[in-house]
Amino acid sequence: MSTLGAPSLFTKKKILAFLTACAVFLAIDLWMFSALRDSYEKTVLQDKKELIVALARSAPAGGDAAAADAWLAEARKAYPAVRLLHVQGIPGADEVKVSSLDPELKSLWAAMQGEASFKLGVESASYLEVFVSPEPVRLGAQKSLLMFAPVPNKEGDTAVGIVVAAVDESALTSFFYLTYSLSVIAFLLFALGFGIATFSRDPLTGYAILVLFAIVLTFVAYPLFEALRLTFVQQGRFSLAVWKEILTNKQYLGALAGSVKLGVLTATLSTLLGFLFAFFVARTSMRGKKLVTALATLPVISPPFSLTLSIILLFGNNGLVTKRILGLDHFSIYGLGGLGLVQTISMFPIAFLTLAGVLEAIDSTLEDASLDLNASRWSTFARVTLPLAAPGILSSWLLVFTNSLADFANPLLLSGSFRVLSVESYIEVTGMNRLGNGAALSILLLLPTLTAFFVQRAWVAKKSFVVVTGKPSGRLSDLASRPTRILLLTGVVLTSVFIVSLYGTIVAGCFVKNWGIDYTFTMVNIVEALQRGKAAMLSTMTLAGIATPIAGFIAMIGAVLVVRKRFPGKRVLEALMMTPFAVPGTLIGISYILAFNQPPLLLVGTGAILVVCYVIRELPVGLEGGVATLRQIDPSIEEAASDLGADQATVFRTVILPLIRPAFISSMSYTFVRSMTAVSAIIFLISARWYHITIQIYNFSENIRFGLASVLATALIIIVLAVFGLMRVLVKKSEHLEKTVTVQ
Amino acid sequence: MEKHPVPVQLEKVTKIFRDPKSRSDVYAVRDAELQIESGELVTLLGPSGCGKTTMLRMVGGFELPTHGRIRIGGEDVTYLPPNARATATVFQSYGLFPHLDVFENVAYGLHVRKVPKAETETRVMEALGLVGLSELARRAPGRLSGGQQQRVALARSLVVRPQVLLLDEPLSNLDALLREQMRVEIRRIQKSLGITAIYVTHDRVEAMSLSDRVVVMKAGLVRQVGRPSAIYERPDSKFVAGFVGKVAFFPVEVLGEEEDDTVTCSLAGRRIVAGSMAPGVGDKAFLMARPESLRLGDPGTGACDGTVSTNVYLGSSVECFVATDYGEILVQIDDPSESRVRPEGTRVSISFDETRVRLLPEGDE
Repeated sequence: MSTLGAPSLFTKKKILAFLTACAVFLAIDLWMFSALRDSYEKTVLQDKKELIVALARSAPAGGDAAAADAWLAEARKAYPAVRLLHVQGIPGADEVKVSSLDPELKSLWAAMQGEASFKLGVESASYLEVFVSPEPVRLGAQKSLLMFAPVPNKEGDTAVGIVVAAVDESALTSFFYLTYSLSVIAFLLFALGFGIATFSRDPLTGYAILVLFAIVLTFVAYPLFEALRLTFVQQGRFSLAVWKEILTNKQYLGALAGSVKLGVLTATLSTLLGFLFAFFVARTSMRGKKLVTALATLPVISPPFSLTLSIILLFGNNGLVTKRILGLDHFSIYGLGGLGLVQTISMFPIAFLTLAGVLEAIDSTLEDASLDLNASRWSTFARVTLPLAAPGILSSWLLVFTNSLADFANPLLLSGSFRVLSVESYIEVTGMNRLGNGAALSILLLLPTLTAFFVQRAWVAKKSFVVVTGKPSGRLSDLASRPTRILLLTGVVLTSVFIVSLYGTIVAGCFVKNWGIDYTFTMVNIVEALQRGKAAMLSTMTLAGIATPIAGFIAMIGAVLVVRKRFPGKRVLEALMMTPFAVPGTLIGISYILAFNQPPLLLVGTGAILVVCYVIRELPVGLEGGVATLRQIDPSIEEAASDLGADQATVFRTVILPLIRPAFISSMSYTFVRSMTAVSAIIFLISARWYHITIQIYNFSENIRFGLASVLATALIIIVLAVFGLMRVLVKKSEHLEKTVTVQ
Repeated sequence: MEKHPVPVQLEKVTKIFRDPKSRSDVYAVRDAELQIESGELVTLLGPSGCGKTTMLRMVGGFELPTHGRIRIGGEDVTYLPPNARATATVFQSYGLFPHLDVFENVAYGLHVRKVPKAETETRVMEALGLVGLSELARRAPGRLSGGQQQRVALARSLVVRPQVLLLDEPLSNLDALLREQMRVEIRRIQKSLGITAIYVTHDRVEAMSLSDRVVVMKAGLVRQVGRPSAIYERPDSKFVAGFVGKVAFFPVEVLGEEEDDTVTCSLAGRRIVAGSMAPGVGDKAFLMARPESLRLGDPGTGACDGTVSTNVYLGSSVECFVATDYGEILVQIDDPSESRVRPEGTRVSISFDETRVRLLPEGDE
């Protein structure tokens, strides 16, 4: 209890810590500032240099003064900001004719004969090199950099003249002042925040808030801002050109229409199928519910490409069903139909899980009451059950719709000539190198997602009348009549069989020599795939393994801050942490390349950017889980710990973490699995050194090496199942905990 | 216990919460002045939302006062976090650590203080012995009854030898019988250890029976501080009188103060003498009478007449409700016998035990 003696919050230790932190931050700040300035100067100079060189190439090589003057006049018309001087012949070697429309420049030229930079400039030009004066010179009212560019002869092997250009330096200095003031502001903000945190009652919480803010600002807000900026700024000026092109070009609009069409199709089919399954599980007394539930949730956790792959194997151009069994020649699975099928199979589980929750929560006594009042089963279903489930049905439809829009992996393999936004933006970026268009297309993708989100908030939340009585509802009255039950059962069984056969196909694909042509058994694929995929597998597992605990801890700390602490800017922090949930992977990928491809944050090409991407993308789900668990824990448990003498760190370690262990473990395993199976964002970020297993599967499939792809997909499925199995075991061990958490 | 008990002082303590909906300030505690002596057990009593728990939480360090100072043992602890204060709290919901067993729960405070293992063991067993739970040391808290959980929480707070024990409605989740037992138990332990204690409750019987002094609060304001008997017999306001016990009020006109401190007044023309008078009484006042200070007589003999409406038989006494011009008045008849209890519907007159009735200022519910 030695701390009792210090009522003052300004202790020597704290002041020292504060000053040290400020010094460290200042050093980093200055380094970042100088790096930024350097890289900017370099790019600006490079641009100018290229311009001048191009100009010099267009200058008349020989001819009279009139030709030179005509050229100078034309150049001034095109580039009024650049002051030019044309020199016919190389000084010292030829007879020199100087002409310029700029008397100041002309007199400068005369005055600087014999100076060191003049000699160097002329010499460089004679060797066909560009020279930039290291020091700016005063030219009338402005400070300018002088550039000497050679005018080549027709063959381009010797310089026959020089173009001297004076480039205004003020653009550079204004940028210098901008970055300078920004870094000063950054330092002041840091000092303020860190100071408040250090000298407050609860420094640890303060630091946690600062760190989380720094993380989300750097890795969520900044990249998205960069992406948005790119679509509005062209060559340093505000411009709507990108958006004009996006919103008028038929190809892009077609992709938008395609995405929406696919989304509506998938969402409708998935909700229907999901309702069928949910009704079977939650509202009937038929047997086999557990098996059906397990089968129906399987596609949620299956890796990308795996279902697409087996659809191609079964129904593709050389598919088992289409070619071998039915003998169809002109059938194509590629396009809207195939995509709708594969998305429905992989996304109806989302609808199923949502709707099963909704249907289970509806008190069956309401249905009993309706039956008791002599309503028929059908009218009870139509007038009681369905209206009660309506908000849930809409919200599941919206959930699937947004998922379908953001889906990248399935369309990538299966879209054929059918265009969707996510793939279109990928092609724009990697195929056409048009980052601006790519970013704009992904932002376009964000709009329906946000709309769906707000509809959900405004309407569904208001209309939700799910009745949770907490009373055991006892036996369910069976709403389904006998024929309905047979119909229901048939639908469920057929879908389940289809799902099982899809997974069977992938496994079978591993052992077949050449699918579609030669169905003989072989182990060759396995050996080759493991050899070629080993590096990607290892790098994926390493990076996912690094990201997992980081994501877990950040999510849990974030949850504690959100649920338990009061501080200014909490809403902003929470919103920023949740943002990646709504942002399509392609947009995250594109924005990361934009934001982290130059110093001081040069991350593109490293493993770090993949780790950051995993952590940020899975943060929302972990956060939600942590928040939900923490809300159920009586805050007086933590208060008791703190009251008994534990500081914030000890409370977190000894009380909070053990209590939210289930959420912590499931958040970590979720992060690991999702990172292993990521496609959309990381396809932009991988490098030769840090490859990704899913991209490897994609490459194998693209090269029609379906056997190899099947092996890797199967391996990935096994890993995913193993991780989830492990999670269940670990969470079960702490289940006794959950029950006693609320001791009210 | 090697530590001496310490006093606790609240100096002009105010806590303002901001209501996020109406965006207005809400005074949870307003200008509270309170001096708690060493070794004293003080109860904060009031209806829910009166600020009593907020006040306790400020002493514990869970809330920061908006203004004012808090001193423990003379030292300013206003801005110290809970873990740096010599207080220990027993929470309403106990706040037991569900992932630790009973022994580990009690040992937690010693662990974080890095007390040696052997000493921890003896002190934990000693504390468990004090609350009579030595047998259940290895039980998980989820498998204990409410009363046992409550005792674990108490032992966990006592084991760290706090200078001030804070109890936040510790008995509200227990059934009536257990509550009475634990009340006695808590008082016994507190006195035997000589700890200064602050006890929050909304139950007046609890407050009366276990505290040295009672602090009655309403809407963030401290209304009266005093010994239980003083609060009950000589409240200063209608609110305090009504909150700590059953009471009847009669509007009277004050005629004059006598030399022996009694006051003469008139109730609809009839002269009455009241034993005492609260500060702030003007020409018009309310005469406050507890059910046990009222007597029934034949019509016309007492201060006011009425009709018996209901008799409630309670064994050792009968509660008789009499309908009068001043509303339904409750009269307690001790040692009830056929002759003393009037049948329902009879006309009666109510007279006062003059030494036990008191004048209170007007208004102020």
